[in-house]
Amino acid sequence: MKLAPVDYTILAVYFAFVLGIGWMLRKKMSTSGDFLLSGRSVPVWITSLAFIAANLGAQELVGMSASGAKYGIMTAHFYWIGAIPAILFVGIFMMPFYYGSKARSVPEYLKMRYDEKTRTYNAFSFAVMTIFSSGISMYALGKLLQLVLGWDFNMSILVSAAIVLVYTFLGGLTSAIYNEVLQFLLIVAGFSPLAILAVAKAGGWHGIQTRLGAMTLAGGMSGKVMTHAWTYMGSPQSNPMGVELFGMVAGLGFVLSFGYWCTNFLVIQRAMAADSMNSARRTPLIGAFPKMFLPFIVIVPGIAAVALANMHVGYSIPLDNGAPNYNLVITTLMAKFYPAGMLGVGLTGLVASFMSGMAGNVTAFNTVWTYDIYQTYIRKTAPDRHYLNVGRATTVVGVVLSIGAAYVATRYDNIMDLLQLVFGFVNAPLFATFLLGMFWKRGTGHAAFSGLVTGTVAASLTWCLTVAEGKGGILGTVHTFPSAMAQSFWIALVAFTSCFLVTLVVSLATKPRPEKDLEGLVYGLTKIPEDRGSWYQRPAPLAVTVIAILLVLNFWFA
Amino acid sequence: MLDLRVPSGWFFTVLGLILLGMGIFAPDTRAALSDANVNLYSGLPMLLFGLFMLLMAWRASRRAS
Repeated sequence: MKLAPVDYTILAVYFAFVLGIGWMLRKKMSTSGDFLLSGRSVPVWITSLAFIAANLGAQELVGMSASGAKYGIMTAHFYWIGAIPAILFVGIFMMPFYYGSKARSVPEYLKMRYDEKTRTYNAFSFAVMTIFSSGISMYALGKLLQLVLGWDFNMSILVSAAIVLVYTFLGGLTSAIYNEVLQFLLIVAGFSPLAILAVAKAGGWHGIQTRLGAMTLAGGMSGKVMTHAWTYMGSPQSNPMGVELFGMVAGLGFVLSFGYWCTNFLVIQRAMAADSMNSARRTPLIGAFPKMFLPFIVIVPGIAAVALANMHVGYSIPLDNGAPNYNLVITTLMAKFYPAGMLGVGLTGLVASFMSGMAGNVTAFNTVWTYDIYQTYIRKTAPDRHYLNVGRATTVVGVVLSIGAAYVATRYDNIMDLLQLVFGFVNAPLFATFLLGMFWKRGTGHAAFSGLVTGTVAASLTWCLTVAEGKGGILGTVHTFPSAMAQSFWIALVAFTSCFLVTLVVSLATKPRPEKDLEGLVYGLTKIPEDRGSWYQRPAPLAVTVIAILLVLNFWFA
Repeated sequence: MLDLRVPSGWFFTVLGLILLGMGIFAPDTRAALSDANVNLYSGLPMLLFGLFMLLMAWRASRRAS
């Protein structure tokens, strides 16, 4: 693929604007709270879009179109059942505790609610995880640009990291959030024409159904399996994802998605930067509206690509050593459907998604490092100025460590797979800890900690004892899963359940905390603010609207 | 605090103008698989969106002063 001067101009304009936003915000950064928490003053439309954008990294965009090509419209469950219920739950039920407790981070909430060791466990695992996920996504983008455009791997990594560094260093969290919104809008602008053009070329949704029908029938599955999200989930053998209804709804829809959206500081931090309790609660709810429609621009092009490849119109799925490489679907589609000009916008959108993912990781890392690790273990009391400087220095360190992680990924492919697996084990039980912490005043610190450790161990054991697609089972094979995805859903379920039970039992055996210590932290001991105003200013009616639209979408594509 | 509608409004105005310019003055720039003048049709909504953001920001700043 070759870029024209106009494409480079568009990329340059984008760089100028993100840096300009950082530059314009630099004067507002006078306290550590301004820099790391945005001074809790960001308008709700901005936090809502940032809430969604921080999760929409380059890996996500590339991966989702690839899954669309592999699994069809079922992939949309990652945006529907696998996101929306959790997003509504965090806004309606959990935000009063996060925002109302005045905690500055998710680990700090754990410290207030439980104890120091639970916080430290969470803070350290989160800090390491953000650095590595930022590094992995940097590596993925560098490889992609190298493969598609022939850009130098080191150059793309260093230039994009440098730009993220400059604007987060200047404007802190506010700058990251503002840019995430710009990046989100650009992703929508750069990707939605592709969805329209590719679907139109493939004969519309109906044409796609016909073409993919012939293909899946030949492969031994129903002809409608790629274009129906629910119908073929009765057994793992009847859909390409290899999952069944219970694993999907309980594993993905409950444990994994609640574990991510309700406890991951990367996204929660965006809501906590909002200017009021009402805005903080509405942040996830308003974000849910664009989230539900993202499948149409990130997944549908992947589905259309498979149909196009069966039509002999001059498009084929790119091959890698003879096997289809679905990760290249989105960029090859752009090359075929976008002329010089729009191609620049599309690729800039891809670069933007990478930057918003990376800036999200870096700013979350910053806050957790400065408040939960540095202020807790290294220097407890210092003037605020000192923590502002630590925050700034951490930005540099965070970016440098991410670059380091990207190079580790280049060298040792397997280490990265292993790390992602381990992070999965650490994350899976978290939601049980928060659920019991927020809604059961009897829960104790020792219980939370032992629950988390048990959950992680149980998750690792499940992996060691089961096999899917030739992976796992290093201690023996008790069960074989039809797909790696089904395995990960079940690992999450085991981790959640064991953490929940252990926390419950140990809580009852340990000394409860006095109720006056738990005010503002637990349901029943916290004043839930009363909501006033029109329907769109109140969380509950907003949530009902989201559910109604979600139901329509799911019935439509059932 | 900086009103984000201003920079994002300008960004999409500039982007829209570039694409619209391409669509009008280089209408033969086409992609392999599409006969449509993609630049023209995607540039126009971007320009309108940018102008709309600027209008909203301008109204808000007038109300504030």
